[in-house]
Amino acid sequence: MRRLIWLLGLLAAAGWQHALAADWRMDPSGSRIEFVATFEKSAAPGVFKEFDTRLQFDPDRPAQSRLDVAIKVTSADMGSAQVNEAIRGAEWFDFARYPQAEFHATDIRRIDSNRYLARGILSLKGARQPLEVPFAWSESAQSATIEGELTVQRGPFGIGTGEWKATNVIGGEVKVKFKVRLRRAG
Amino acid sequence: MFRNTRDAWGAPAKLFHWLMAALVFAQIPLGWTAATWPLSPLKLNLFVWHKSVGMLILALALLRLAWRLGNPAPALPADTLAWERLAARASHALLYLLMVALPVTGWVINSAANIPFRIFWLVPLPAIVEPSKHAAELAAAVHFGLFVFLATLLLVHIGAALRHHYIKRNDVLTRMLPGGGART
Ligand code: HEM
Ligand code: HEM
Repeated sequence: MRRLIWLLGLLAAAGWQHALAADWRMDPSGSRIEFVATFEKSAAPGVFKEFDTRLQFDPDRPAQSRLDVAIKVTSADMGSAQVNEAIRGAEWFDFARYPQAEFHATDIRRIDSNRYLARGILSLKGARQPLEVPFAWSESAQSATIEGELTVQRGPFGIGTGEWKATNVIGGEVKVKFKVRLRRAG
Repeated sequence: MFRNTRDAWGAPAKLFHWLMAALVFAQIPLGWTAATWPLSPLKLNLFVWHKSVGMLILALALLRLAWRLGNPAPALPADTLAWERLAARASHALLYLLMVALPVTGWVINSAANIPFRIFWLVPLPAIVEPSKHAAELAAAVHFGLFVFLATLLLVHIGAALRHHYIKRNDVLTRMLPGGGART
């Protein structure tokens, strides 16, 4: 009897272990976060060169998932010395006070076969705003990729203060595109 | 009269001259204000105007030069001295050169600084050099030097036109004016 209980216990533990979503870590070499702002009706592209992603995710049980992204805002590069100098100031990203942005989501649901929606909170420049991040999931033996595109409004985060609040010269919408390669952790 | 003749400028030549003179006169304070204005949406707009008008000047200068190749300038008055003829030819050639070189150096600054730009907010301007902070600064210094050269040359040019009119009392100025022909 005792043995049986032990055995059941072991089986349950194994089952529990199995139900836990897999833990994924980012492979920086295969990962990119790009953004495109609008500057005088022209596209002004940039990248965040440094960021990290952790994901607990089971594509078949997305409800148990968790997505955490940390972006080093100070690694933003818009391809122009002049523009890079301007965006570091207090009116834009304010590198000195807010060097990091974070996105955390615990609500991930499936939209269709391999597409999901992560609903979470983006903290950027001291503001916290809800954000929906759609992504496509693809998985191979030991790695997986999440990929997606979304639009973020700069206004609610106070990116562009004072005269820059107006959106006719620098647009209010910023397109964000990401592709993150993940490896199974442990 | 459409084409230039031995003693008169045709309408296209006059139109080119005065249209471009007006654009160049607007372009200088525009560039100056844009460059010195504190960073703000207005400064960015001033630069779009400056760069757009500058590219328009470049296009007009090339058309004008093409037109000029098939239409020699009217002859200067018979009493014009050799040095005056030389000065007129050289200064006009330099003015043409500057109307091309200023926009081209501006285009280099914009490309090297890698600032997104659409001419009059419409037509994207392709880059002609790789992004480089150093090249942008160098091109800006050349652009400024050429501007100083242009401003000096324009003072001489306008002074010479006035000299023809008020001192030499010939028709060199009046024949360039709209509707103006030989001096009566
Ligand atoms: C006939 C045509 C042009 C004239 C007479 C002209 C004249 C000027 C003047 C007077 C300035 C201010 C002085 C200075 O900082 O250098 C300036 C600055 C400038 N111009 Fe132009 N320009 C012309 C065409 C262009 C074009 C076509 C572009 C770009 C496509 C351009 C881009 C610039 C830039 C970026 C500056 C600021 C330079 C700096 O940062 O110091 N310009 N221009
Ligand atoms: C109030 C201002 C100006 C006056 C009174 C003026 C006057 C004149 C006159 C009278 C001529 C004819 C010379 C001749 O018959 O041989 C001339 C030619 C010329 N002007 Fe001006 N001008 C002015 C501004 C400008 C400006 C701003 C530019 C360009 C930046 C310019 C560029 C030229 C050129 C290139 C020619 C030679 C045309 C050719 O040989 O095809 N002028 N100007």
